[in-house]
Parts: sequence; C-alpha cells; structure tokens
Amino acid sequence: MFPYAPWLVWLLPIISSLFIPLVSRLSNKARNCFALTVSLIALIFALSMIPDVYHLDAAESYELCVPWIPWVNISAGVYLDSLSILLACLVTFFGFIITLYSLGYMAGEEGLTRYYFFILLFIGSMTGLVLSDNFFQLFIFWEMVGLCSYSLVSFWYKKPESVRAGMKVFLMTRIGDVFLLAGICLLYVNLGSYSFHYIADNIRQVPLPVLTAAAFLMLGGAVAKSAQLPLHTWLYSAMEAPTSVSALLHSATMVKAGVYLIARLLLVFGFSATLIPMWLPSILWIGTITAFIAATLALSTPDIKGVAAYSTISQIGFMFAALGTAYDAPSTGWFAGVLHLVSHAFFQGLDFLLIGGIVHAVKTRDMRLMGGLRRDMPVTFGLSLIVLLSRAGIPPVISFFSKELAISSVLSSGNIIAASILYLSTALTFAYALRVLILVYLREKTEHVKQIHVHEASKIMLLSAAVLAALCVITGMFGEAISGIMHFHAEMGLSEVFSSSTLILLMVLTISGSAVYLTYYKKPALLEILHGTPIGRILERGYYFDALYGVAAKGFLALSNGIRAVENRFFSQTPQFLANCVIILAHKIREYVDVLAEEMLYVVTNKTLTSASKLKRLPSNTINHYIAAALIGFVIILLLIIVTMWMTGWAV
Amino acid sequence: MPNTLLSTLLLPALTIPLVYILGKKSPKAAAALIAMMCICDAALLSTTVPVIINGKGHIYVESYQWVPALRSSFTLFIDGISFLMAIVTLILMLAAAIFSIDYMHEKKGLAEYYALLTLLSIGLVGVFLTSNLLLFYFCWELMLLPAYFIIGGWGYREPYRAAFKFFIFTHAGAVFVLLGIGAIFMVTGDLDMFHARSALMMANPELVKWILISLTAGFAVKMAAVPVHMWLPDAHSEAPAPMSALLSGVIISAGAYAILRISLGTVFPAVMATDFASQFLHGLTIFGIMSAFFGSLIALVETDIKRIIAYSSIAHMGYVLFGLSLFPFQEATIGTVLHLVNHAVSKGLLFLTAGAVMKRLEIRDVREMGGLAGQMSTTAVSSTIAALSIAGVPPFACFMSEFLIFVGAFRTVKIDGFYTIPVAVMLIATVFSLAYSLRFLSHVFFGASKHDKVADVPLLMKLSMVFLAVLVVAFGVWPSLLIQFINVTFV
Repeated sequence: MFPYAPWLVWLLPIISSLFIPLVSRLSNKARNCFALTVSLIALIFALSMIPDVYHLDAAESYELCVPWIPWVNISAGVYLDSLSILLACLVTFFGFIITLYSLGYMAGEEGLTRYYFFILLFIGSMTGLVLSDNFFQLFIFWEMVGLCSYSLVSFWYKKPESVRAGMKVFLMTRIGDVFLLAGICLLYVNLGSYSFHYIADNIRQVPLPVLTAAAFLMLGGAVAKSAQLPLHTWLYSAMEAPTSVSALLHSATMVKAGVYLIARLLLVFGFSATLIPMWLPSILWIGTITAFIAATLALSTPDIKGVAAYSTISQIGFMFAALGTAYDAPSTGWFAGVLHLVSHAFFQGLDFLLIGGIVHAVKTRDMRLMGGLRRDMPVTFGLSLIVLLSRAGIPPVISFFSKELAISSVLSSGNIIAASILYLSTALTFAYALRVLILVYLREKTEHVKQIHVHEASKIMLLSAAVLAALCVITGMFGEAISGIMHFHAEMGLSEVFSSSTLILLMVLTISGSAVYLTYYKKPALLEILHGTPIGRILERGYYFDALYGVAAKGFLALSNGIRAVENRFFSQTPQFLANCVIILAHKIREYVDVLAEEMLYVVTNKTLTSASKLKRLPSNTINHYIAAALIGFVIILLLIIVTMWMTGWAV
Repeated sequence: MPNTLLSTLLLPALTIPLVYILGKKSPKAAAALIAMMCICDAALLSTTVPVIINGKGHIYVESYQWVPALRSSFTLFIDGISFLMAIVTLILMLAAAIFSIDYMHEKKGLAEYYALLTLLSIGLVGVFLTSNLLLFYFCWELMLLPAYFIIGGWGYREPYRAAFKFFIFTHAGAVFVLLGIGAIFMVTGDLDMFHARSALMMANPELVKWILISLTAGFAVKMAAVPVHMWLPDAHSEAPAPMSALLSGVIISAGAYAILRISLGTVFPAVMATDFASQFLHGLTIFGIMSAFFGSLIALVETDIKRIIAYSSIAHMGYVLFGLSLFPFQEATIGTVLHLVNHAVSKGLLFLTAGAVMKRLEIRDVREMGGLAGQMSTTAVSSTIAALSIAGVPPFACFMSEFLIFVGAFRTVKIDGFYTIPVAVMLIATVFSLAYSLRFLSHVFFGASKHDKVADVPLLMKLSMVFLAVLVVAFGVWPSLLIQFINVTFV
C-alpha cells in the first residue's frame, strides 16, 4: 500500500475535481489529460491496497479514523477489508476506463468542463462511499453520488427531457435516502456511534424491535439506490444521460451502492442479521421478483438503452436474491452477491460502451430501426457476443460462475419457488440478450440504417470496450484470484461446476435460446403477437409503476395547489379582512364617539370662547376651537402630572 | 479590550451619518463604507473568540448604567450562539451592501437606503448581544423600522402594502413580546434574562406559563411560523433582493434566536417540572411540522421566483421550530443553531441570485425563464449551490444541521413516543424540499433558453454571491468551524 493510499484514493479525485475549471482555462486537451491522469492515479492507489487485504482473514479489517466533528461524535475514517477494497478497485477502474472512453465519446460536446468535474467528483465520492468506516460518512457520500448522478443525467441541461429525468432520478433516490437516514439515526441513538466497527461489536445491545426497524429502513435505502422494485423506474429515466455516464453510474458503480450497503450490513450485523424477522427473506424476495419483472420488461422494450437499464435492474435482483440467502456473512450467498456485482459491472459496462458507439452511428435508440450492423461495425459485433455470453451466463466468462453461485445459493437455502423464478429469469435474460443481438446485428438492414452512413466507433472507444471484454473472459479463467481477495475458497474450475444446478441452468438456456431463435430470427411476425393485447400494454407501460407514481405526484401537486388556494384565499385575505374590520370600526367610532366628543368640545370651548369673545370679537371657527381645546387639554395633563407627583410624595 | 461589545454597537451608529453624507455624493462609497464597517465590526467581535472558546462556560459580559428606574442596565454579553448570529448578520450585511452597489444603482435616494441598512445592522447585532430584556425590546423594534422603510421605499409592485403588512404583523407580535417582558419584570423585578431565570423559578408556574406562551407567540410571528406567516411571502418577495436576503437570513432567525434564548432559556426552566413543559414542546413541534409541510408544499407550486424562496423560508423555520421543540438534547440544539446560521447564509445567497436573475430579465414568473445556466453561469452555479444546500444535500451547509436535528429527533422519539409521527412528517418534508429546489433550478436555469443575449451580472454582484457560495460549501465541509462555538455554550 502506498502511504496514505486509503485516504488519497478518494480525496485526490474530489480535490482534483475542483481544479478542473482552472485547468480548462489552459486548454481543453490539458483538462482531458488532467482528468485521465487523476483517475489513473486513483486506480493505482486502489490497486496498491490489494496486497494488504490479501493476507487478512475474512472478518479482519484495518480501520483508520480521525475526529471530524468531535462534539457530536462524528469522525472521518476509512475501513479496509476485502469487500471495501475490491469495490474501491472496481470503482476507480471503471472511473479510469470511462474517462478514457469519454475522450472519444464526448469529443466535441459543450460543457465538458462540467462533465469532467462531476466525473471526478463521482469517482472520489463513490470510492469514499465504499471505503467509509462509519454510517454518517457513508450517507454523505451516498448523497453526493446522487448529486453527481443528477448533474450528469441532466448533462444536456437545455433538453427538457434530460432535466426532467435528472429530477426524477434525484427525487426517487432521495426517498430511499430518507429511509437510510432514519435507519442510521435509529442505530446511532441506540449505540452512540456511527462506526461500523463499534456497531458490529455492540450490535447485541440493540433491542430487537429497534434493530428490525433500522434494518428495514436501511433496506429501503438500498432498494431505492439499487433500483429494485418498487422504486426501480428511475433507472430507465436515467438513460437520458450520456452513455458513458450510464456505463459508469447506472450500471457499474452507483446503482451497486445498495448492494454494497446490504453486503456491508450483513457484515456489521453479523449473526444478529438472522434474528431480524423477515429481513433476509425480504431481501431475497425483493431481488427475485425484481429479477423476473425487470427481465420481462427488458424483453419487451424497443429501446436499446432501455434493455440495458432493465437488464441492470434484473441482474441487481440476482445479487439481492443471493445476499438474501446469506445467513452468515462469508457464506456462499454473500460471496455470490458480491461476485455477481463485479462480473455484472464488467459486462454491463461493456454493453453500455458498445451502445454508445451504436447510438452515435445510427442516431437512434430504437432497436426497431436498427439492423444488420454486424457488417458495418464488426468489432462492436464481436465484443457484443461477449456481452451475450456474459448476460446469459455461459462459460467461460466470469458471470457464469457468479450467476451459477447466486442461483445455487438460493437453491441450497431450500427456497425452491424463488430458485425456479430465478431460473425463469435466467431464461428470459438469455432471451432478451439474443433478441438484442438479432434486432441490432443479425437481421437484415432496415430502411433507416440504409439511409445513413454507419461507421465503426472510434478507436479509443473500442479500446476501452475491449479492455472490459478481455476482463470478462480473463477473470472467468482466474476467478480464484477474486475469491482469494474475498477469502472465499470457492473451487471455480470448469470441472467443478457441472453440478445438477448447472445442468438446469444450461437446459434453461437452450430452451429459451431456441425459442428466441424461432421467433425473432425465423418469424419476425411473431414479434407483434403481444402488441395490442393487455399483456403487451402492461409491459409497454412498465407494469404501470410510473403511472402509479404519476398519480401520487399529481396527488401531491393537487394538495399543494389546494393549500396554496387556501393560502391565497384565506391567509392572505385574513389580514385584509381584519384591517377592514378595524377601519369600519374606526369609521363607526368617528361617526358616533368622535362627533359626540366634538360636540362636547364645542360646548366646553364655546363657553370659554364666549367669555373670551367678550374681550375681543373673533369669528368662532373650528380651528380656534381646536387650539383652545388643545390648550385646555395641555393644562389638564399638566395638572394631572402635578397631582400624581404630589400624591406619590414627590418620590421620583 | 474592555468595551468591545459596546464598540460593536457604537461603530455602526457612528457610521450612519458618514454613510448618509457620503451617500449623497457617491452611493458606491457609502456601500463600501458599510462593507468596511462590517469587516471592522466582525474583527472587533472576533477579539472575544478566545474568551468564548476557552471561557469554560464563563460568559463575557459588559454592563453600563442605563435606566435605574427600571433597574435596567445596558448589559451586553456574548456567548457562542450570540457570536455566531452576530457574525452571520455582519456577513450577510457585507454581502448585501456589496450586492446593492450594482443592484440598486438606478434607484433614487440611495443615501437614505444605505443609512437605513446601517441602522438595521445595529438593531440586529443588538438583539443578539444584549441580555437586558428592555434593551432587547429596543433592538427588536429597531430591527423592524429600517426594514419597514427599506421594503416600502425601494420595493417592487405595491411595496408599501407589503411593508405595512410586515409592520403590522410583526408589531402585533412585538406587543405580545412586550407583554411578556412586562410580566417578567412584574414577577421578578429584574430585566436581565439570566437573573430572571432563577427568579422565575420562585414564581407561580401558572403565571409563568402565560408569560411563556405570550413571548413565544410574539417571537413566532417574527419567525413566520404557520399560521402567522402571512406577512412573510409579501415582504420577502416585494423587498429589494439585498433586503430579502437579510429578512430571510437574519430577521426571521432573530425570532428563532429569541425563542431559544428567552422562551426556552429564561422562562422555560421555571415550568420544566410541570405537565405544561411537554405540552409546550409538543405545541412547538406541531407548529414546526405545519410550517415545514405547508411551506414546502406551497413552494412546490408557487410560480413567482421570490415567493418560492419565501415559502421555503417558512418551511425552514419549521425545521428550526421542530429543532427547538427537541430542546433538551444537545444534538438537536446544536443542530438548530447551526441551521439558523447555515440557512441564513444559504437563503441569503439564494435571494441574491434570484435578485440577479430578476435584474437581468425583469420578470418574476419562473415559467417564463429558462436556460440561464449558459448565459449567467456564475449566478447559476451560486444558485445551484444555494438551492441544493436548502434541499439538504451534502456537502453543502444545511445538510449537516438538518442531520443533527434529526439525530436529536430520534433521541427524543426514544423517550417520547409523541414524536414518532412528527419525525416521519419532517423526513417526508425533506423530499419535498428537494423537489421544490430542483423545480426552481430547472425552471430558472435549465431547459430551453427563452431569452437571448442575457449577460451575467456585474463583477461586484458576482463577488458577493461567490463569497456566500464559498461559505456555504465551507460550512458544509467543515462544520466544526461553527459547532465549536455552539458547543461551548452547553458545556
């Protein structure tokens, strides 16, 4: 480990991001190089930490922390164990790859200073998130990656759709953040610390109802961040972002924050996690149902980025399902969830990088307009075959092992129903992966493609994609290395995996593969069979989740409008009304009392004046009356003062 | 220095005639003079920092002969909370003065405007520094009068109407305050808030209860808690932008400060042992969540750029009231005071940016704005920082204080089940606060550009916005900077 690497690995990108606007003053090229260099240095720092955890035991960890706000018990720190370092490496690696890719993909866009600022800020925040040693710091970074996501989704801020999508992304994840915040506060007020280490040691002191509430609240946060049912719809909207951003934030790293949180909670809670009623089964079922629902959506959407988004949701469902079986932290389920996180990051990131090139080339996201790209974009086509293999989980790629482990962990936990739903989802996964391949590459060219000149993606984009593709395959061969880092001694050779569950997996894949081959490739007319039917409509609308949220949002807006109407009618008018009452009262007083008083004054002063007028005849008009009255009043007040002073005995 | 606190009040007082004379010749110089005055005043106050931090609970007090008849002396004191509030007042005054140079330069009567601004700073700093209730009331009204004239004289649309509403409402509130202060004098025979605390312990709790209600009601009007918030949207939106920043930043915070210092600090201990104590705190909670919820919801649909921000101020005073109602817990009180400071800076910045937008576009309806991010980039960045801070997004200032308030709230829930639902409502309200902030940003700065050739504002306006924006980030990243002062008060 380089000195201070655990700190610098996230501080460096965050601090460097502040210099991006300054460097961009020099030249655009300097700015791009700066961003690339910083992300490379962060990657090197992250990789340098691997040897330190390799020889630790699974449960062991380094913890370094410094006081930050000591008065309220908040410290800043880093927590180094195999999980956090694996993810830190993943994040910085993707940060580097995506920065590299952006050099080609984003070339010529406006506002790149902002883009690289947020990319670096994101790399720093996400690395900080996985390295945090306490819940408070984790929450800060959790929100900061949300902020980066918002800014990057609305990167094209002049397009109303992307601004709206950014708002939706930020608001929906904020709902989860509120849950997470509540969970963190609950744990803190019961234990007096945010630190993972402290909480892990003292978790037994927390009363079970409180622990249950906290665990479920935090699960809510994870569900929203990782786009699980029912809060998954934001991820599809996030596809308005530049594709490089989708690859980095919305497939490889940020959406995995929820999976990381669950994996971390399983470590922190330890054995207590199994005591929480319904908690692990909830994770399992949320994951299973999400995996299935999202797979059906991925099968039906015509949007190529939509398939990638739903595929991400579905695969994260697999991770949740695997984590939900982890009755003991370093168990198969736990390892399978984390391994699938890594392998999915590779192939989904790869997929997005390829999509970026395709969308550049054909200038649409609608797969119905694409076709026959295998001739024009041969390299992209070749790399996309690896995506196909990985998604489906066909050896020798790494995701075969991770998916196999995930399903077999569910199977061995005895939950046959969940396992069969997962098998079904796997079949659907293979189906939609094949569908994309057929629609985009294999079938004949469409009119749209014929009209435009399709070109292969730029070299730098293909290079970064190729690195990911290579990793998909190579890690598959060297899966032992990852399990070594994680201290999980899984035998991951091809000879080991032909268990019964693997046979089921392969059978499922063959069946679904041939079904897709028959429909999409042989008889494209069959495509339209669902169109117009109720099921088709339901899939088209994404199971009406968005419609539901639309209704909720409209309800709140209506409530707000109602309150505003009350505000304008009632609250604003009340002072007016009160003032009017006072004025009317004043008028009445003037009418009766004042006139009466005037009459009295007149009578009194007239007497005086008549006597005075005997001396000198003056016209008896009103002004004189008032002057006289004022004089009389003055004298009376003076007399009163003298009398009171006399009565109080000249005390003052 | 022996007379530090007196000097911090005398300095602005002596500056007023200079500002007025200089303002007749050159308004720019007058604004510069105010800025200088703010810096000197802040420097003067900062000389007390060692006493505050190392004083171990000892409070720095200065006392002068004043009205022997009422046994009132001119007592000034400073502790961490007063210090922070006074400093944030001076910071906002500095930003407002610099902002005014270009913002107000076409207006007439700027000499009077700047003189009134200086007068306002005496009232504000005085409110935070005095411990004598009579003097407090003096400053309380001194805060109101210049604000009234500035809104009326230099505001928009029907300024005197808004100013009148502001005056009448807060003055009606002040009557309750005066009633309470009078009652405290009647009961204890002492007008010093620290002496009165112990004296009130001996008093009849039934009477103290009414004193508490009367005072708190009076302060709540200044704070614009729902349902006595009616003056705020008009006053905030009709006032010139620098005045809105001060109104929303410090004047309403003064209400919260007064509740903390006088209602809860002086009077509340006397009823602490009775049933009324929890009823009172629950009452504050209910008004707090009402303000937070109503304010956020209305800000979500309001279309006038400054009214959106004004309603968000109501919402944030709801957070503060909620935080005050959790009074006995350290985190909550630290969070509340921190929130006053953070909210003042963030909201001041947000009003300044709104003023900058209005200066350039001369419209107020957010639906007619759009795409300004490219044209007014400094304003857009400052406004984004301010709006996200208001929404409670880290690493900006308000997040930290809201978080501490929530920690305090969860602590309270553990003891008093009543708070469960309020906490849930407040948590939901944070989602709405993000919603209206994002809506504000997307309407004003993002989307298709609807106005061609909008230039960014002049340098000095940018400077004051950037100054506050840097503070918002600094307070967010390094909250210890502020917390070290607040904490000392409770050791």
